[in-house]
Amino acid sequence: MSATAQSVPLPRPFALGPRAGRFALRIGTGAALLALWEGFVTLFAPSYVARPSGVARVLPDVLSSSLFWSDARVTVVAVFEGLAIGVVLGVVVGLTMGRLRDVDSALRFYVSAFFAMPLIALVPVMTLWFGYTGTVRLAIVSFGAFLPVCLNVYDGTRKLPAHYVEVAQSYHARWWNVWFGIALPASLPYLLAGFRLAAGRALVAAVIAEYIVALPGLGYFIIFDSRTFHMNEAMVAVLALALLGVAINSLADLLTRRFLPWYRRA
Amino acid sequence: MTGAGGRIEIDGLAKQFGELRVFENVDLTIGEREIVSIVGPSGCGKTTMLRCIDGLVKPDGGEVRINGQRVTEPPRGVAVVFQHFGLFPWKTVYENVAYGLRLAGVPKKQIEESVPRHIELVGLAGFEKAYPYQLSGGMQQRTGLARALATEPDVLLMDEPFASIDAQTREILQFELLRIWESRPTSMVFVTHSIEEAVLMGDRVVVLRGRPSTVHEVIETGLPRPRTRDVLSSPRFNEVREHVWSTLMQEAERAERELQETR
Repeated sequence: MSATAQSVPLPRPFALGPRAGRFALRIGTGAALLALWEGFVTLFAPSYVARPSGVARVLPDVLSSSLFWSDARVTVVAVFEGLAIGVVLGVVVGLTMGRLRDVDSALRFYVSAFFAMPLIALVPVMTLWFGYTGTVRLAIVSFGAFLPVCLNVYDGTRKLPAHYVEVAQSYHARWWNVWFGIALPASLPYLLAGFRLAAGRALVAAVIAEYIVALPGLGYFIIFDSRTFHMNEAMVAVLALALLGVAINSLADLLTRRFLPWYRRA
Repeated sequence: MTGAGGRIEIDGLAKQFGELRVFENVDLTIGEREIVSIVGPSGCGKTTMLRCIDGLVKPDGGEVRINGQRVTEPPRGVAVVFQHFGLFPWKTVYENVAYGLRLAGVPKKQIEESVPRHIELVGLAGFEKAYPYQLSGGMQQRTGLARALATEPDVLLMDEPFASIDAQTREILQFELLRIWESRPTSMVFVTHSIEEAVLMGDRVVVLRGRPSTVHEVIETGLPRPRTRDVLSSPRFNEVREHVWSTLMQEAERAERELQETR
């Protein structure tokens, strides 16, 4: 082959490696947004409105205050407790609905209806049942997490290929072998998709409960600081919530890689 | 290792799906350590018949007995190899092969001894930790075969096991199955739509014909065992193959004529 036939990649200006390029783009976007925010507030807003430089200024104070950390801790604990309860219940109910037609007929309509309903509407009702306590938050977070997990596991179980069940039966599987040995692992991809939705809903539910019921937590931290014109401090808590959401999603990614090595390439 | 064969008696078996009568009046006895091929045009109900033998499908008439026991649910000592392989994508080769043993509550030590031995028997040593998506079709079916063999069955039911595998791999697997069978002869029902395969595998070939299908003919192949590639070029092999071929062709022509008359 002659040398002219080979295509030689021309050096492009500003060419970064593909990974580094994407990372630079992400950081660049963030920096541009912060600059826009800072500029807009400086030009048009009163001085108490939160701005990046203000947030950066109060950050050490907030992070060294014990109130912030105790509030963050209760919210995080409530979110994870609620997620755990919601996921376990969601798996059990979703699997049962998927495998038993009568349970499907009895429950699915109501689960779908609750899924479509804004959870915030339930908070005042729940305060009547549980009082103005952390139980309301746990209940609303659990319920919010339960619904998407339940519906996703249900979907996965309904889409279970019939030949898996046939193989299991030919090896003398009993119903519980089919439920937990076949239907559940086959539905794991659906369960993880449900978990991601559940994590988002759980965070929203926790913050809303804290807003409405005035429970100590990051949500209340935000409301209190906003109402006392500590906007920059409130914004720190907002960013902490965003960070928590990202962390839970990374956890879901980690679980996917750990437990579903067969899934992405299957 | 010597294997035990199981005796299968099929007595007046019939099955229909709604109005459609698939097969009826099927009488057949499969002896211990005998391989019987069932061949017939597509849609003749041969796969359904196999599921009836394993008790996965309830017949509408007649019965199946294995070692004298009437089949009402999948019996112990019977293993099926499926056309669709039926591997679980979330299990490794090792775990797929161990599946039947774990369900049967076989002690751990015995599983750890048996599973690698059967993986090696089907030529998959080194692939224990692979997932099904990492394997070719032929290797997936080797896994399916190992899973069936690991339960040390008396009866093997083969449901067009090599139908979705490429031609060269299919031929390799056919002879490997014959080799494995020689080392541990079981009773085997081999359902296929390939006439060559039916003749190559079977001591007898059962030809299904008609609508609803019935047993049209049972042919003793009379081919020697152990079977090697030489069988494929033997006059007897060609004779039986041609005979089955012409029988099925007559059927196809008759069906064609009927179809034209109804138009």
